[in-house]
Order: sequence, then structure tokens, then C-alpha cells
Amino acid sequence: MARIELRHITKRWGAVVAVADMNLVIEDGEFVAILGPSGCGKSTTLFMLAGIYMPTAGDLLFDGARVNEVEAKDRNVGIVFQSYALYPHMSVRRNIAFPLRFKGVPRHQAERMVEEAARMVRVEELLDRMPAQLSGGQQQRVALARALVKKPQLLLLDEPLSNLDAALRLTMRSEIKRLQRETGITTVLVTHDQIEATTMADRIVVMRSGRIEQIGTAEDLYRRPDSLFVASFIGAPPINLLAGEARGGALHIGEAQLALRGEARGPVFLGVRPEAVVLDSTGHPALVEDIEPMGRETLVLLSTPLGALRALVGGAAIPHRPGDRVAFSFPPEETLLFDRASERRLADVHAALASRG
Amino acid sequence: MAVEALVTPSGAERWNALAVRARRRRLLTDSLLVGFLVVVSLPIILPYFWMLTISVSAKTGGVESVVLWRACAVLVPAVVAFGLLRLFVEETRRLVLGALAIAAIAVAAVILLVGSDLHLQNYRFLWNPDIVAEIRGKATAEAQFPSVWIAFRNSLALAVTQTVLVLTVSTLAGYYLSRFQFPGRAGFLQGLLVLHAFPAMTLVIPIFLLMYWSGLLDTITGVILVIATLELPFSIFIMKGFFDAVPWDIEMSAMTDGASRRQAFFRVVLPQVRVGMLAVGVFAFIKGWEEYVFVRTLLFEKQNWVMSLYIFWVSEDIMGVDYGIVAAVAVFYILPSLLLYVFCQKFLVQMTLGGIKG
Repeated sequence: MARIELRHITKRWGAVVAVADMNLVIEDGEFVAILGPSGCGKSTTLFMLAGIYMPTAGDLLFDGARVNEVEAKDRNVGIVFQSYALYPHMSVRRNIAFPLRFKGVPRHQAERMVEEAARMVRVEELLDRMPAQLSGGQQQRVALARALVKKPQLLLLDEPLSNLDAALRLTMRSEIKRLQRETGITTVLVTHDQIEATTMADRIVVMRSGRIEQIGTAEDLYRRPDSLFVASFIGAPPINLLAGEARGGALHIGEAQLALRGEARGPVFLGVRPEAVVLDSTGHPALVEDIEPMGRETLVLLSTPLGALRALVGGAAIPHRPGDRVAFSFPPEETLLFDRASERRLADVHAALASRG
Repeated sequence: MAVEALVTPSGAERWNALAVRARRRRLLTDSLLVGFLVVVSLPIILPYFWMLTISVSAKTGGVESVVLWRACAVLVPAVVAFGLLRLFVEETRRLVLGALAIAAIAVAAVILLVGSDLHLQNYRFLWNPDIVAEIRGKATAEAQFPSVWIAFRNSLALAVTQTVLVLTVSTLAGYYLSRFQFPGRAGFLQGLLVLHAFPAMTLVIPIFLLMYWSGLLDTITGVILVIATLELPFSIFIMKGFFDAVPWDIEMSAMTDGASRRQAFFRVVLPQVRVGMLAVGVFAFIKGWEEYVFVRTLLFEKQNWVMSLYIFWVSEDIMGVDYGIVAAVAVFYILPSLLLYVFCQKFLVQMTLGGIKG
């Protein structure tokens, strides 16, 4: 177990900056997800933690000790790759035992540890198979067992679920969570899938082009995104963003005008989550453009005086059809305002639709 | 509507007619294909067959083609019968039984037709070292003709050593080229290809001089170095391709599992490219085994003869060439590379398909 600290970590590949001045503390036993689109530097960060890449600048601390120059083989880090990276020429048993060979664990003890790790991820029946004879989910479990067998102080997961089908993803998600809780190993998960990050991790680090955008819990990121990027990256279906102008205490979007609560000036974006948009009889007029049933909910695409809006409505069947005229509204406290130049959220500023009728 | 009428058959009869037509067409294309392959493979197979026939039938003083024609009269129907068997029988057990029956009939026919002409006298060079002296009734003017086993040993030493050399260098170089960035890497790779395109024959004279000056002329070591060097560019390129196909992940995984880079290379990466190593090894061995131009140029002493020189001198030295012996030596010469191919064929086919199956 370890407390991990990144101080001003920077990684450059020639002129390209992959990770820029990253500061992060991961507490002992914590489950942290690094979330971001591809190319944001999240995998680079992971490989620096593993010791495969060396930071160009900054300090990487394990339990307060600087480990920048410590080689990967000496860091006692377990890693599960997106491809699982099982050794194709070794049986499952030898795959899991591989890390123990370098630690000088006596044979009989190693055997016991392998079986224990296999039992933990439930692959004890597969020990004598070859990786090519396993399904994706089984390979994933073996990779986990191999990462856990050496009792690492840090577990790194690189997109561990992206090669699994939807049903398996669900099981493995809770499985990994359970393993992490049982072992109490500090864990870092790298993913581009927000659901993976929000469902598994205690805290989420959102990265964008080598920089940290925001660190917080799933709820923080969803309800109080610091920036336009986080707001639009988190949430599916995505947040409604409307470009407008704040002047004279009012927010002007196209021809429409909304009342501002709080201080704002200049070009802004108004953000409204689809589920905050309510279809009711008292609201403002809108035209139903299209309807996308999503099972438990239905996404209604509206054309409004503010522009196009996505509204998420409960229930699989709704009484509207494309072409219907409806009325919509959203509660002011659910609105988010972002400065268009800095893309930062304007704290405690909301916008309200003028009340009608 | 017209399309529908074409596609929709009017009942079971129509389906049956379509099925019969498809079956007939498949049979026709299959037999055409097999026929074509048989015809184009004849010019390749026939010389070898002839060589084998001569080696077990010819007597000193001349070659008769009667035996060959008789043998062909057995072989051709046997091959045709086997082709038909493959075409019409699909069950493995019956296929094997049929093949065995055809082989038995063919062997019986051969014994019946040419059995009296077969003998192993032409292979006497294997136990009688000085065949030339024997044939001409006295020792040749210049010392004795060396034993075939000396040539065989030299050839084996040449082929094996150069295989080991090529394998070691091309594996390490291929790995380095595949995994590391260094200044001039692109140029180096292009250089490998250009070197491979360069005809080696143009280098005969410079290499002769080089060997002369470095004192390696007329030594097996010199020839090994030359052949290995000429073989390397292509082998390195092949090995680089195989290393390229090994994912980085397993190497990184091995290193986080506590292996050093060298341990990761030997325990995790190298086992993934064993098919490539086998291919490169087989090619290198065969190149060393069949080499003629450079051994002819660089080796003179009889004690340094390799198999290709031995066969050359057998056909050259004997007054009025004894084709029986030449053919027998040729059969003996071919056997090792043939065995190697038979045993490694499975892997070599994988290689030409261009990848490693996971």
C-alpha cells in the first residue's frame, strides 16, 4: 500500500508535451480514475507511475520517497493492460507465477500464492490452459491475478474493460471494485469511459491535453463542473450548451432573454443537463423535432427560441410525436454558466426563464 | 418483379436443380484446378524423379531411358489415381486406405516392371572413399579423391555455423531495429533492402581479394563469414518484421513484473518470434548447404571440399561421366535439406502467410 504523490510532473516527447505540470496526491488505499479523451496524457501518466516512462521534470513520490529513477521491475507495481498482455507461450499458471520468479519466492510458496490469486479472481479451473484458449473476460481475470499475486503497493489499470462486451463489463466492474476493497491496494484506473470512472472510482481526475481539468467525486464533476470541457465530457446524453451574451443583468440567447441571478458579463455559455429540461404545459413553446426512446427514458429533441435542446423524459412511451407543439422549462438552480473566453464556470451564477402564465 | 421471378424457385424441384448445378460446377472447377497444378508441377517433379531413377538403375558406361519410361508408366497413373481419390473421397479413413492401396499397387508394379534393373552400386561412394581410382583402375595423378564424408562434414560445418551466426546476429539486430530509435535508423533499414537487391555475384572478385589479404582464402571460416554476411540483410529484415508484430504491452508487462529488459527479451519476446527464427534458420542452413559460387571461388584444397564441390568434381573428374554415380551423389546431397523442409514445412508456411498466429 502506498500514498502516491505527483509534484509538477511533466513528460515531453521532443517538442510534444504529453503531461504538463501535473500535481496529484493519491491517498493510501484510494481508488482513483484518470478520465479523458484519447491523447490527453492519461496513459503516459500511468506508465510514469509504473516506471516504464521517466518524467522529464518533477518529482514522483511513493510514501514520501522519490522514485523517479527507480526501475519498473523494482517498484512493485501491478499493471493490467488494455490488451491484457498475457504471455502467449505460457499457461495461465505460469503467467500468474511469472512475477514471483523474480522475487525469489520459494516454489511451494509461489504455488500457493498463484492458487490464492486465481481463486480471488475465480480462474482456479483455468490454471492449465493457454491464454489463447480463454475468452476475453477470462483473460482479463488472469491479468488481474498476475497483477495482484505479488501483492503490489500500487495497482494500475489501463482501460481494463474496453475490450469486453457490455454484459461482461458490468460484472468485471463490480469484480474489480470488490477486489480493490478487499485488498485495499491503492489503485489508479485510466479510462476514456465516464461510466467506468464514475462507477468504480472514489475520486476522478479529468485530464485534457496533458493537464488536469478537475479532480472530484462523480457528483462534483456532474453537478459542479469547473470548466466547459468537464461539463460536456461528463454526462450522457451530453449537456445542452447555448451560446449567449450577458449584459445588463440579463442573458441574451438569440432573440430570447433570460433573467440572470448573480454577476456575469460578456459572452457566456448556458449549460442545462437534458434531464433538467422539463416538458410541461406552463413553460415556453417548443417544437418536437425527433424522439429517441432509450428504454427507461426517452430523449426528446426540441426546437426552441433558445435553439436546439435535448430533453430527457422519464418513461419509454411519451404522449408526443415529432411535429407536436409542446412547452418546456428548466429550474434556474439546475443551470450552469460558463465564461466563453476562459471556458471556466461562473460560480453561483444561474439563469431563469421568464415565468409565463 | 423480374428479379423476384429469377430468385424464387418454384418449389423443391427447382432447389434440387440448383443444388445439382452448383455441385457439378464445383466438381468441374476442382478438377480443372487439380489438372492445372499437376501439369505445371510436372517439369519440377520429373527431373528429380529421373535423378532418383538413374541413381538406382544406371550402370557404369551409360544411361538407358527404358527404366525411366517404365517407372513413369507406373508413376503417372498412380498420381492420377491419387488425384481422383482426393476429388471424390472426403472421409479421412477411406482416403488413407485408398492412398495406401494405390501405393501398394504402384510398388508392386515397379518391382514387376523394373525390379531386375534396380541396384545400389551407384551409392558405393558412401563406403568406398576413392571411387575415381576404382573406376579408372588406378589413383589419379594428383593425390586421391577425398571421401564423401569429408565433404559432408565440411558442408555440415559450413551450414550449421553460418545458421548459428545468422540467427544470432539477425535476432539481436532485428530486435534493436524494431524497438529502438537511433540516428540513421531509416537509412539503415533502406540500406538492408538495397543490399538485398544487390547481386552477390558482382562481389566475387573483391571478396576473393579480401579473403586473400586477410589470410582466410581456402578456409571454411572465410566462406562462412562471406555467406553469413551476404545472408544477413534479408534475415535481419525478416526478424525485424517478426519483432514488430510482438506487442509492446507484454514487454512492458514483463518489466513491471520484475524482469530486467534482458530477461524480458529472453523469456517473453523471444518465444513470440520462434517461428521467424525457425524460418530464418532453415533458409540460412539451406543457403549454406547449397552454396556453390563462393566455395568454388574461395576453396581449393581437397580437404576443404564441400558437397557442391564434391558433386562438381565427381562429374568432372571421371573420364566419360558416370551419370549413375553423379545422380546418386545428388540424391545424397539433397536428402538433408529435404528432411529439413519436411520437418519445418508447417512453420515455413506460416511465415510466408506473413504472421504469427496468437
